[in-house]
Amino acid sequence: MMLSTATQLSTPPTATPSTVVPLANRNIYLNPRLQQGGTGQMGNQRSEEVKKVLDILVRTKKRNPVLVGDSEPEAVVKELFRKIESKELGAEGPLKNVQVISIEKEFLYDKNQILSKIKELDRVIESRIVSGGVILDLGDLKWLVEQPMSFGGAQQQQVVSDIGRAAVVEMGKLLARFTGDGTNDNNLWLIGTATCETYLRCQVYHSTMENDWDLQAVPITSRSPLLGIFPRVGTERILSNPGENLNPLKSVPTLHPALTRRVSENLDPAQRTSFCPQCSDNYEKELSKLVAIEKSFSEAKQEDNRPSLPLWLKNAKLQSSDAKTIDQSEGKYQEVLSKQKTQELQKKWRETCLHLHPNYHHKIHSDRTAPPALSMPSLCNPNLFVRPPFQPRLQTTKPLGEVLQLNTNPVTSQPQGCTSSIPGSPVRTDLVLGPKGTENTPEKATEDGVKDLLGCISSEPQTKVLDKFADALDADTYKKLLKGLKEKAWWQAEAATAVASAITRCRLGNGRCRGAGSRGDTWLLFTGPDRVGKKKMSSVLAEQICGTIPVIICLGSQRGGEESDMNFRGKTAIDRIAEAVRHNPFSVIMLEDIDEADMILRGSVKRAIERGRLTDSHGREISLGNAIFILTGDWSTTNPEATRDGHVVDGKKLASIASRDWQLGLIVREKSAKRRVNWLQNEDRPIKPRRELGSGLSLDLNLAVDTEDDRTDGSHNSSDLTIDHEDELGLVGRQFTITSVPHELASIVDDSIVFKPVDSSFVRREIKNTISVKFSMVVGDNLPIEIEDDVLEKILGGLWHDQTSLEQWIENVLAPSFNQLKPRLPSIESRGLVVRLVVESDSGERRNGDWLPSRITVEG
Amino acid sequence: MGVVEEAHNVKIVGSGDQTIVLAHGFGTDQSVWKHLVPHLVDEYRVILFDNMGAGTTNPDYFDFERYSTLDGYAYDVIALLEELRIQSCIFVGHSVSAMIGAIASITRPDLFSKLVAISASPRYLNDTDYYGGFEHEDLQQLFEAMRSNYKAWCDGFAPLAVGGDMTTVSVQEFSRTLFNMRPDIALSVGQIVFQSDVRHLLPHVTVPCHIIQSMKDLAVPVVVSEYIHQNLGGKSIVEVMQTEGHLPQLSSPHVVIPVLLRHIRYNIDA
Repeated sequence: MMLSTATQLSTPPTATPSTVVPLANRNIYLNPRLQQGGTGQMGNQRSEEVKKVLDILVRTKKRNPVLVGDSEPEAVVKELFRKIESKELGAEGPLKNVQVISIEKEFLYDKNQILSKIKELDRVIESRIVSGGVILDLGDLKWLVEQPMSFGGAQQQQVVSDIGRAAVVEMGKLLARFTGDGTNDNNLWLIGTATCETYLRCQVYHSTMENDWDLQAVPITSRSPLLGIFPRVGTERILSNPGENLNPLKSVPTLHPALTRRVSENLDPAQRTSFCPQCSDNYEKELSKLVAIEKSFSEAKQEDNRPSLPLWLKNAKLQSSDAKTIDQSEGKYQEVLSKQKTQELQKKWRETCLHLHPNYHHKIHSDRTAPPALSMPSLCNPNLFVRPPFQPRLQTTKPLGEVLQLNTNPVTSQPQGCTSSIPGSPVRTDLVLGPKGTENTPEKATEDGVKDLLGCISSEPQTKVLDKFADALDADTYKKLLKGLKEKAWWQAEAATAVASAITRCRLGNGRCRGAGSRGDTWLLFTGPDRVGKKKMSSVLAEQICGTIPVIICLGSQRGGEESDMNFRGKTAIDRIAEAVRHNPFSVIMLEDIDEADMILRGSVKRAIERGRLTDSHGREISLGNAIFILTGDWSTTNPEATRDGHVVDGKKLASIASRDWQLGLIVREKSAKRRVNWLQNEDRPIKPRRELGSGLSLDLNLAVDTEDDRTDGSHNSSDLTIDHEDELGLVGRQFTITSVPHELASIVDDSIVFKPVDSSFVRREIKNTISVKFSMVVGDNLPIEIEDDVLEKILGGLWHDQTSLEQWIENVLAPSFNQLKPRLPSIESRGLVVRLVVESDSGERRNGDWLPSRITVEG
Repeated sequence: MGVVEEAHNVKIVGSGDQTIVLAHGFGTDQSVWKHLVPHLVDEYRVILFDNMGAGTTNPDYFDFERYSTLDGYAYDVIALLEELRIQSCIFVGHSVSAMIGAIASITRPDLFSKLVAISASPRYLNDTDYYGGFEHEDLQQLFEAMRSNYKAWCDGFAPLAVGGDMTTVSVQEFSRTLFNMRPDIALSVGQIVFQSDVRHLLPHVTVPCHIIQSMKDLAVPVVVSEYIHQNLGGKSIVEVMQTEGHLPQLSSPHVVIPVLLRHIRYNIDA
């Protein structure tokens, strides 16, 4: 092989004669696997091909192999001969003593000599064949169909055929002579190589050759990197085959004439009419810049000077003005490439224009009576159509310097001021081009169908909703929102205020300006450990703003115990988001645990935030509409001790408490009677209850307002905790820090809101207070209500998971019970009595439905 | 064609006194240079090759053990240069290949007259006093995603790495070359690349190094360029381009090519 000099290497592979050079250990850095491959020429694949050839040689029929392939079939032949010479084939078999005779090709070019030469060959073979057979190496069969001496024109064709035909006939005779008696071991084989093209020509010009010569074609698979570099992509594959003389584009339209015609019909007028004059001016300007880039690229090189440049590299160059000098197929390819760029540019301006001058487009659409835009360029490659109209423009020149500063990135160079979403995918664009008249045009239904099919959302209805929404949103809405938030998640008052104001601000169009122009989508980032608070607020937002329930999509690892929608099985999170937006572009979508999402997911979400569009896993882009996205993540560090000691509400613990089936009951007891039980358990504290007994009255009066008193009067359990309540709050505050919200995320969302960890004593106290207030309102101030901590815990757990708010529950469940209880209470001698809210039953099984008991038994 | 050249799909184009070696990074092959090559062939002899493991190479040659460190690739580069009898070259490496070139230049400084590093990073993981851009968990998730559904991973990763929409040609191109790799090889290469740490080798690099970097790059934060610049043993220069993505030579050739040509043509002033 070509190891000798570097200059040889730069010549194309096929032009170099191949010789086997063993590579034993000459390069210490070499991959050992390559060294092994060196002795076996090219490793497995080649030896398999050699084996295939050997199999053919030992057959009795069709046993003369012709190796057909574009990538060095000679190498396989060489490998075979090497094996024969080195007797690697074993002592048995018909090939054990075979000899190889190679034809000197030159003599065959002279017609007059051909007979004598073959006679000569005949003698040589006869002399050698006795020793065990001869393989006649015909080399590249090209000589049978080509004529190196120039005669020119049709005459040449004739000559080729004459010489070739004579050779075929003579060779056939030769073969027949030596193989005529099938009994003889001493056989004559032919072996040759050919490119696909050569072999096909042989079949055409010498139709009898295959039979006369007893040939068997062996396809040699292409290993050439030249082909490998352009894999598997439809058009490119067709165009990149260097051996292909036919114009590949020719075949495509004949395959799908209808399709092509339809699409180009749809594309061409659309593209011409799709700009208003102003935008088309701008488009022309940018196009000429683009052309200048391309021209300067191609002007730098002249194709002719570089015969050794592989085709794919030439492809990278862009359309040049002197395209005529390039051969047909290459020119086509470049045209396609530059057209692709032109189309991207067009698309950009079409969108821009559509947004800037909707009226213009509306007129056009009403003028057009074309069928709904069913042409889906994503299905049929747009590169396949050659559109000449833009060819003349490509001649425009501009200086290179200006051009290099031009940033043609369509996203960043998108002019500001585009309203609403900026659709990017070609699918989206073509839909817009269809009859967009949503004013009761007959096609509306069809178009909607198409939209659904393609998963696109027209921007028009969204805009309407937004307008309506913006009008409706005033101070009242803010108050209502804040009230709702505070009601459902009262333990996060600070966050509730922040959320309400953030939402109001964003909805009124004062959100962070991302990308181009204002957008309908809103992104909030909820940080902190309080999952329940975030969820509750999302529900409130969804309910108040969109009138729906929020769509919750978990980006992190699924948590046990959270119900997961079966429909989402097997879908990526991004697809689920896309689906949610598609389903209702005006909804609250909560993306939970973005901090746990993998990098790709996070990146996709980030891109969505930046661009206002989301690309799903099928590559389809959808506008995010007016959805409110809530990203949640923890990013906080809470002192683990705080959680363990119960200072901070632990969601898991609450879930386990609340998930059991429990009922509450109201019991009226004498204070002392109940106390006694507690004393038995807490004998080390005999004094306090006694004091309490005495101060019972004063407590009753202040129950609702004064927590300090409430505490001293209440059960031991709560008093222990609440004594140093203030300190604890401080403790929790100190122990909680939001550490690592990624700046990249925090900087692009509209607002981020911190949800502090919930202080358990605070929430218990709040629940207790609220219930007490209600009780005193219903029953009266002269009777205390006692609520044990375990009961509070259960209520808290229920609240955590249930949809209802504390106030609602008290109003709907507790208050009726209080009312029920009231007539049974002895009105005067209530002094020594206390009403207790206790757990009636705790069966351990979670009932279906509500987390909070819907009824409370009342015992007289 | 020799075994080595054939295995690496070596192509030599252009002519000139100086030789330029173009080395592609993870998930691509030599076609990533298609925009650059036409501008070089007039002045330089350009050598293109595919790293072992790229979609265009024979998977049988991919020795998981040899390529368990970047050294294996560095040896490949030296083997190739020896094989081609190249006395000295300008080595243009993208992404991981920039580091491969740096490692190779430590072993054989005589072979390299200049290194041009595009989007290079000596370490992708964050460390104390070092910001590489990735946390350990990020990478675990990345590998897990590669393992579970390679096609889906490619489709997700390509737009992020290139920094464009799936509709743009460059993203499709990267997605294609990425998906061309055999998934198990891609995973292995990905793990080696992302978990590599060659920071300790940087001071041993004596060959002049031109560091070229995108303004915004998912894989390599801009500070990394500065880190390389500070820690290299030889002369170095940094240029941060106003481009986006990890493959600027593919996604923004009109910006990158003039920059690259300048760095290839001119040397760092003493």
